[in-house]
Amino acid sequence: MNLWDRLATIDRRIIYLLVALGVIIPIVAKLSFRVTPLREVRQAYEEIEKLPPGSVVLFSIDYDAASMPELQPMLVAMLDHCFRKNLKVLMMGHWPLGLPLGQIALEQVAQKYHKKYGVDYAFLGFRPGVAAVMINLGKDLRQVFNTDYRGTPVDSLPVLRNVHNYNDIAILVGLEAGATGDAWVQFAQARYNQKIILGATAVVAPDLYPYLQAGQIVGLIGGLRGAADYEQLVQVPGPAFLGMPAQTIIHILVVVLIILGNLGYFARRQGGRR
Amino acid sequence: MKSPPIVPLPVPSVRAYDTPNDAGGSITVEWELSPVDSVVRMYEVYRLEGSPEAEPVSAGFVLRGTQKFQDNNLKDGETYYYFVRTWVGEEYADSRLSNPAVPSAQWFHTGRKSALVILLIYGGLLFYYLQQARSGKPLYIRKIAGLEAVDEAVGRSTEMGRPILFIPGIGYVSDIPTLAALAILKRVAKKAAEYEAEIIVPNFDPIVMTAAQEVVKEGFMEAGRPDLYNEKNVYFLTADQFGYAAGVDGIMVREKPGAVFLQGVFYAESLILAETGHSIGAIQISGTTSVTQLPFFIAATDYTLIGEEMYAASAYLSRDPLSLSTIKAEDVAKLGFIAVFLIGILLETLAAITGNQALHFFKNWFSLF
Amino acid sequence: MMRRTIPLIITFISGILLVFALFIPHKPFGNLEERFNDWYIIVSGFTMILGMDSLLLHHWNKIRRRQADWFHSAALIVAFAVTLVWGFYSGIKVGNPFDPKSTFLQYFYTYVFVPLQATMFSLLAFFIASAAYRAFRARTLNATLLLVAAVVVMLGRVPKGSGASVVLFGIALVALAVGLVLHGRSLVDLRGQLLAYGGAALSILAIIPIAKYFPTYLPAVADWIMNIPQLAAKRGIFIGIALGGIAMSLRIILGIERTYLK
Repeated sequence: MNLWDRLATIDRRIIYLLVALGVIIPIVAKLSFRVTPLREVRQAYEEIEKLPPGSVVLFSIDYDAASMPELQPMLVAMLDHCFRKNLKVLMMGHWPLGLPLGQIALEQVAQKYHKKYGVDYAFLGFRPGVAAVMINLGKDLRQVFNTDYRGTPVDSLPVLRNVHNYNDIAILVGLEAGATGDAWVQFAQARYNQKIILGATAVVAPDLYPYLQAGQIVGLIGGLRGAADYEQLVQVPGPAFLGMPAQTIIHILVVVLIILGNLGYFARRQGGRR
Repeated sequence: MKSPPIVPLPVPSVRAYDTPNDAGGSITVEWELSPVDSVVRMYEVYRLEGSPEAEPVSAGFVLRGTQKFQDNNLKDGETYYYFVRTWVGEEYADSRLSNPAVPSAQWFHTGRKSALVILLIYGGLLFYYLQQARSGKPLYIRKIAGLEAVDEAVGRSTEMGRPILFIPGIGYVSDIPTLAALAILKRVAKKAAEYEAEIIVPNFDPIVMTAAQEVVKEGFMEAGRPDLYNEKNVYFLTADQFGYAAGVDGIMVREKPGAVFLQGVFYAESLILAETGHSIGAIQISGTTSVTQLPFFIAATDYTLIGEEMYAASAYLSRDPLSLSTIKAEDVAKLGFIAVFLIGILLETLAAITGNQALHFFKNWFSLF
Repeated sequence: MMRRTIPLIITFISGILLVFALFIPHKPFGNLEERFNDWYIIVSGFTMILGMDSLLLHHWNKIRRRQADWFHSAALIVAFAVTLVWGFYSGIKVGNPFDPKSTFLQYFYTYVFVPLQATMFSLLAFFIASAAYRAFRARTLNATLLLVAAVVVMLGRVPKGSGASVVLFGIALVALAVGLVLHGRSLVDLRGQLLAYGGAALSILAIIPIAKYFPTYLPAVADWIMNIPQLAAKRGIFIGIALGGIAMSLRIILGIERTYLK
């Protein structure tokens, strides 16, 4: 086996090892890069930025632990933005196993800004039936959530007293690891004209670009890069920001591997012809 | 520079009307913003039931910059009046009373008329071609490589003495791709029975599992080998996405199937499954309508059914003229859509060049509410 | 016969009803879809029992017959029991197993469930690298275009990617030139040789504009690829899927497609 053959058939375990090193080294060495925020992320940021204080932002946790590395930093950065601007935050979710993640982030950021539960924010929890929940929220929030997750009646929470349906929600932020984002657009936007910002994993984000172009969502935060952009915009560098060097290195590694593979491929073909 | 007035000014006009296209019980109130909107704390909407002299009740409030409020949970047939109170600090100013409005339910959703028209035309096309098929007219369907390879994959796997693994994805029985996958499963099961090969179907959803058991049994019966059918090979794994991926990967590594079918709804686990399948050297035939997962399948598996090819699978495999005719109708509809797109592009481009707003009529007709 | 006819009739009626309900806001049609959804949720909740039965029986049989790898099955049953019991215990103690005060959330969810899920998802990074290495070979013109687009998007969407792209494209182009020269030397006819050498010279020359424009324009090009050609192709597939989906649904509603039935 000559050098070219080897290049064309690198063992996948070697590739795995390189990927592992490419992720671990920059994280351990605490490298960091500045990012220039993407336009769609800046758009999302500006939509939140221009809300008057007291406006209600509804977060939907539509992910679970698997996509936590990408979506949790987004959630933390956006919550930080909302609380800093004295917006009211509501949280619900369609993925029951991910909801605790949302709650943990909500409590943590609320504490940072000394916000009070029930007055400045509330955690509504999960109700089954994705489409039905979305449609009913457009009619009457109390049809879906008559209590918060602790069982406190919604009407005894000041933050919710005047929230009845989408009309009272300034922006809906959906954090998506699957197809729930499409449902939000289909039901909350198309039927009730709700303003929506979607944050999604890098795998899901390309699916959501058509909505952005069609103006059906007003901002799109995609993957770790999007999260890093938002962290930079609100100036709370966090895990996404620190993850950027690792991501860059892996992208470059993949490109190098592709080039090597092609070199080997062509050299072998050349050899074969001779 | 004049400092902003602290005196609240009322909103200049208020209009109330029955909320269109709803199931009744709702009135929409619309107003022009107060001239001092930038310092407004909130707009409070008041409702008067029955007569303009009735006692006003607060219906709710909205923040500044908002011009619309939907008042729900009203009585159909009752007359309502509204006014808007503009709050600046602790001071307020009331608008004049709105026109009377009566909530009612509608029998037709006017915002969806374009969808209805498209549905009727498409339905008509389907019925036309169904009739054609009934009269025995032969229909042509192009070759789909992924489906041609089904028999070959089952055959080669059997030659190697290995089982066949069919992964129906993480969809539910309400997802159309899952139903399409079951149609493919039937063919795979039938072939497997003919070759006396073992077929394993791990499931993500219990209802899909029950359906898959029936489908596999039916396939074995059609092949005349019901004795070979083993219900224990079509089982439930877990309803957790990555737990399912881990479980299927484990099956692949332990059982070393010769052919792997990945058909149905897939998300991020698609590549985890397809790469593991590749590493054990199985022939892989994938198919999904999850567009984001298609690149992964194309990169890692031998054949991929792209989107609608999957839906065509059962018609293609069974060659049933009635099923084929629906595909024919689909193609004709597609031509129709292309024509609509071209007209739309032309009119919108003209509208952009000439600035003539009337040219948007075509686009507007298609917008859904 | 009855086993088949009755389900087909139910399918037909509920299918047609739901299609028309979309156009009728008036009661009882307006909320028909939600009501059907509620029923589906109730039914699917109960089928979980069916799933559990299938899973536990499958593994219990493996253990009983001491089949190969039976200890994996044992691990599964133990894990299943621990999760179930712990979840119920926490649920009874603090009212909800996912309450911040619940030990189920504090230990099991945080230290077992979250890392396990994250581990499975992160496998993607490894698999993407190996799949990309294997699949992106410039075999044909189409494959080459795909490859170039992939590289541009990968580098254009990460910080410092544009800088790296100059070096990487430079290396690739030099390698291409060397390859073409070698190829030219092996040829006998003059025209082929000239073409090969010309190609080599062009690829070397191409490095100059790349070095000049890539650092500034690569992210914009990556965005363009994502927003225009990528979306165009995707929309085409979407429309096909939607039409195919309607045709498939109609086949099911009309009872032409019935593989899902016994």
